[in-house]
Amino acid sequence: MSIVKFSNVEKSFGPHKIFNGINLEIMPREVVVVIGPSGSGKSTLLRCINALESIEGGDIRVDGFSVKGGRNDIRNIRLEAGMVFQQFNLFPQMTALENVMFGPMRVRKATRREARELALALLEKVGLSERANHYPAELSGGQQQRVAIARALAIRPKLMLFDEPTSALDPELRQEVLKVMQTLAEEGMTMVIVTHEIEFARKAGTRLLFMEGGKIVHDGKPNELLLSPPSERLRDFLQHVV
Amino acid sequence: MSFDWSAVIAAFPQLLQGAELTVFIAGIGLIAGISVGVLLGMVRAFGPAPVNAAALVYVAFIRGTPLIVQIMFIYFALPILMHIRIQAVPAGIIAIAVNSSAYVAEIVRGSLLSISKGLTEAGLAMGLPFWKVLVFITGPLAFRRLIPPLGNQCITSLKDTSLLLVIGVSELTFTGQEIIADNFRAVEIWSAVAVIYFVMLSAVGLFWQYVERRMPIL
Ligand SMILES: Nc1ncnc2c1ncn2[C@@H]1O[C@H](COP(=O)(O)OP(=O)(O)OP(=O)(O)O)[C@@H](O)[C@H]1O
Ligand SMILES: [Mg+2]
Repeated sequence: MSIVKFSNVEKSFGPHKIFNGINLEIMPREVVVVIGPSGSGKSTLLRCINALESIEGGDIRVDGFSVKGGRNDIRNIRLEAGMVFQQFNLFPQMTALENVMFGPMRVRKATRREARELALALLEKVGLSERANHYPAELSGGQQQRVAIARALAIRPKLMLFDEPTSALDPELRQEVLKVMQTLAEEGMTMVIVTHEIEFARKAGTRLLFMEGGKIVHDGKPNELLLSPPSERLRDFLQHVV
Repeated sequence: MSFDWSAVIAAFPQLLQGAELTVFIAGIGLIAGISVGVLLGMVRAFGPAPVNAAALVYVAFIRGTPLIVQIMFIYFALPILMHIRIQAVPAGIIAIAVNSSAYVAEIVRGSLLSISKGLTEAGLAMGLPFWKVLVFITGPLAFRRLIPPLGNQCITSLKDTSLLLVIGVSELTFTGQEIIADNFRAVEIWSAVAVIYFVMLSAVGLFWQYVERRMPIL
């Protein structure tokens, strides 16, 4: 039984049709890495999953809930799909700990104590226990992104969506974030990751999608696609990224 | 000529009464004006097109006419149009409220829209409805950006109450003028009036400076 299912999804921005009938099924515990040139629709694909973008045609179901199912379904989808953004988007008026406690308290109705315990455990998991009481502005980019991952995990999602989580980071800070993501993958978290980190795709991914022009052009095992690209386009793309 | 301190001392109790009314009118007017302005600003930032357009017209109209005309309209024209009687002080409060609400609306709209969209998305992505994102995340951040221009508006509106002398509200400026009509001590009384305004406005300025220091922009 799939956890995410795109059926004939159509999506436009104004007059521009971005998706013309996308079909995609993602199974629990899959780590799906999405690559492709700029403007190919990677972010849009990801944002359609948790209904940050609306779709015009077809349907997307997440654990049975439909992005077209109205307010309740969308709320349930968002509770099941944690999201990590390129720009971290931590709440600047809250400490790292408060950022992570926010979700459990406001959307999961946890008590302050429960939320605190959970948040401390998650900050420990991402290696930031010592930074719990610092504000985002006092943290490095890599640390901020790890807090953002902890914040997304705090709502106890079944699925994690990452949109270029390391693209805003200096190269030397990327590894600490990728390591946390790798651990999550090893623990069996279902993940959809838009990234340019080919090495990470090979190591942690169980599946690789190559998008171009709003289409999923290739869909296969990372090793196979990366070692012997089945098309000129993918070979070109890989040469440019690496 | 010599500065006649005794004229100031004699007029002082009456001037203080005028100052009290000035503060009262500005205070109530601003509380109402800020409340309405915050609502209008939210409508301007996020409201559906028809309400948004209505708010835009209101704001444009108020900002596009002089306050003194608004005061005259509310006190002299509105009663005729609506068949009501309105006292000068309530008319003054309404004028300050209506006038400041339009400026506050623009301030609120600007600071709401200046908050990064990513933060709203982060909140929505957690499963919060939009209004909760506004109340718990973006609203408080926007409020911090609101503080400096809001302080500015309070200072402006407090000074604007002096225009209410045209409808005979015995606020500070009107009171000064009345006293001078009696004792002809223009230098002393206008000096005293200026100093009293300056003290009041400095207090308002210091208050907002304090708030700003407690809640810096993030
Ligand atoms: N809010 C929007 N309004 C209009 N057009 C948009 C919007 N967001 C995306 N697009 C367009 O949709 C297409 C897909 O964009 P998308 O952001 O999904 O690409 P991407 O693959 O994530 O690119 P990148 O690698 O640069 O992030 C692009 O042509 C883009 O210009
Ligand atoms: Mg993108």
